[in-house]
Amino acid sequence: MYKIRIRFTKKEWMIFISHLDLLRLIERALRRAKVSLSFSQGFNPHPKISFATALALGVSSDGEYMDIEVEEEIDLQWLKKTMNEELPEGIEVLGCKYIPIKSKALMAFVEYSTYRVRCPLIQKIEEDDIKKRIENFMNEEEIWIEKIINKKGRKQNKSVNIRPLIEKIELANYEEDNCVLKMMLKTGSQGNIKPDIVIEKLGDISIDLTKIRIHRLELYGLEDERVVTPLDVTV
Amino acid sequence: MNRPKLEELLLQVEKPARYIGQEINSANKSLEDVSIRFGFSFPDVYEVGMSHLGMHILYNLKNKQKDIFCERIFAPWMDLENLLRKENIPLFTLESHSPIKDLDMIAFTLQYELSYSNILNILDLGQIPIKSEDRQKDYPFIMAGGPCAYNPEPLAEIIDFFVLGEGEEVNLEILEKYKEWKKRNTSKEEFLEQISQIKGVYVPKFYDVNYHEDGTIEKFIPKDERYPKKITKRIIKNLDDVYYPEEVIVPFTDIVHNRAMVEIFRGCTRGCRFCQAGMIYRPVRERSLDKVKTLATNLLDNTGYEELSLSSLSTSDYSQIEPLIEHLMNENEKDKVGLSLPSLRLDKFPLEVIEQIQKVRKTGLTFAPEAGTQRLRDVINKGITEKDLIDAMKDAFSLGWNSIKLYFMIGLPTETYEDLDGIVDLAYKVINLYYDTPKEKRGKGLKVTISTSSFVPKACTPFQWHGQDSIETLKEKQYYLKEKLRHKNIKYNYHETKTSFLEGVFARGDRKVGKVLMKAWESGCKFDGWGDYFDYEKWMQAFEDCNIDPHFYANRQRNYEEVFPWDFIDIGVSKEYLKKENEKSKKGILTPDCRKGCSACGINEGSLGGVCNV
Repeated sequence: MYKIRIRFTKKEWMIFISHLDLLRLIERALRRAKVSLSFSQGFNPHPKISFATALALGVSSDGEYMDIEVEEEIDLQWLKKTMNEELPEGIEVLGCKYIPIKSKALMAFVEYSTYRVRCPLIQKIEEDDIKKRIENFMNEEEIWIEKIINKKGRKQNKSVNIRPLIEKIELANYEEDNCVLKMMLKTGSQGNIKPDIVIEKLGDISIDLTKIRIHRLELYGLEDERVVTPLDVTV
Repeated sequence: MNRPKLEELLLQVEKPARYIGQEINSANKSLEDVSIRFGFSFPDVYEVGMSHLGMHILYNLKNKQKDIFCERIFAPWMDLENLLRKENIPLFTLESHSPIKDLDMIAFTLQYELSYSNILNILDLGQIPIKSEDRQKDYPFIMAGGPCAYNPEPLAEIIDFFVLGEGEEVNLEILEKYKEWKKRNTSKEEFLEQISQIKGVYVPKFYDVNYHEDGTIEKFIPKDERYPKKITKRIIKNLDDVYYPEEVIVPFTDIVHNRAMVEIFRGCTRGCRFCQAGMIYRPVRERSLDKVKTLATNLLDNTGYEELSLSSLSTSDYSQIEPLIEHLMNENEKDKVGLSLPSLRLDKFPLEVIEQIQKVRKTGLTFAPEAGTQRLRDVINKGITEKDLIDAMKDAFSLGWNSIKLYFMIGLPTETYEDLDGIVDLAYKVINLYYDTPKEKRGKGLKVTISTSSFVPKACTPFQWHGQDSIETLKEKQYYLKEKLRHKNIKYNYHETKTSFLEGVFARGDRKVGKVLMKAWESGCKFDGWGDYFDYEKWMQAFEDCNIDPHFYANRQRNYEEVFPWDFIDIGVSKEYLKKENEKSKKGILTPDCRKGCSACGINEGSLGGVCNV
């Protein structure tokens, strides 16, 4: 058995398909490509395909990852080419490599996402004012939000401090009627925050919250305290 | 619609994947390169429409033609509808996202009566007038086909023309005529004149209907002698020669039947008297074993589906079913492709084979005795005996199954409370059978699901004369069963009687009920088949406003002299035969399966002649 890690995009029309749809789509593309997938044992065998993290509907990405397990060793160039022939426009394999079968699961490895968020502005605001606002925001020690959590089937309100989940925010581009923010946020089981919540909390800079467009740039995890992508990790 | 606008809308709605198109194997043609732009519409949501095999056949058939571009149209869910209406954006096709009013022709498939209001809504959302007479030359032609087209009259004012029977040949013949007409650039009327001469095509506006004072039909008359008096349904003679799609669309989103489908035969030889499909899809024609095998392989190769289903009206009646299953099991074992066999008659089918298919996961077995007593099963000609059922279930329990579903109909002709008691008896017999099975053999925890649907008499069946049970009668029967089926192992399901009643009205309605349809839609009725959205009060108000009595259509017992709205349609099975079957039913006389002897239904005579291959 062999394990292959794959980086791919989810863009264009494909931002409208759900995480479950994506799973089905990948499995079917691999079946059409005649890749000899490994299956789970048991009543209802499933191909061994696992993803790093689910992307929200409407969000595009250049940094999606999955691990697949196959029965036979295959040429990675062939895999990339064939998958791209079988995948719909918007989902594209960017790179892949063999990883040890016992590698840490993607889901456990990933800790950060970087995003580019295009924010249409409702009214004119100076570039410096936005920068100032971001600076003040990042200087806060605590930023609290109310979250509805599901506890044993009962919905409860819970206050969460999101400041530790925000690594970096910067103004990447500024135009009169819209600005682009780049941010690095915690992602995964050890803490997770979505960019739209951060933007909403940032407030006061007249962003049209209904029209922001989020794009994920990359996923990262830690290796020896270094921030590395899932394809760069050595083990 | 331009892309940014559509994206903006889709970011605001539930399950946007159903509106984007772009799926693997969907068609993509340049609008400049085609001479006909066609729209295929299933008047329900994407998830339902995309599960329909007929759509895939006709969609791919048309797109195989170089100069035809067939696109799909479904009913948008309310959230998108509200946005479209608010912003005055016309409904768009899935493929090119262009307004449906830009198409040359739109075809609706009529699979159930309760989808009719959605047809009106789709046209209106497309900014197309709903009445045929209001659509001038710049609007597309609107056609319809499918099983409900066997009584087309309720839609006579809406649809420009209907196509009766199987569509593979006649669709292309119509489009050929369309191409010529487009060049000639004459009136819409002239095109309809042309196609009225094609076998299987019915143009309602070329016919008049005269009524008696009591509301029944006196005469159905062509307005001119050049229009055919009888419209004969179309059939495909040889299924091995006819086109079958091997590159079907693979949806992104989960749909009702998310799997590859191979049709193994058309028609059914059982002759159940309540069943419209069993009459209108005659004669039985099988696809050869080799052809089915090839199709299955190619479909799986081209789609990557993880499940394959065999499609027909009665899977176990396929003459080569066992070798076929063996082949498919062996072939797909390695790739873990599941096999699903809907419409299997389990009473005569080896359970060991099913066990093979379901492997360790025993998902439950479904039986359809349809009626509770042998007497009533004989009335409906459901050739199934209690012994068959009991034997099959005994086997099932000792092989470890513990979940059994039994389907029945209530409101069948001649039904009494004794027949309902028969349902109850059967349910308890099943429970006893389970507990009689040695503990070490049977699965843990018995679940018996009893479902009753309410019988709706349909056009072109031996029960087309029968008055449907009233809502009150059906409710009493359901209540009776509910009380008697209280048991920890039994779950009793039943259908909403009000929707069955409305279905009954349209199944045997005439042109007059079309007015009610328009009225009901105007007052907001749509998605009537979706329990939560069905508004009975609005429908009843519409009947009252139009001064039309729905009971006249649903509940009235007809006599043999009556002229039915659909009598001008020749399904190959004669009205005489249907009468004979109805008479036999009253005496509980069985008619044998066609494979065991011909009962002269008429399909082998007349214009369809000599095509039974049983």
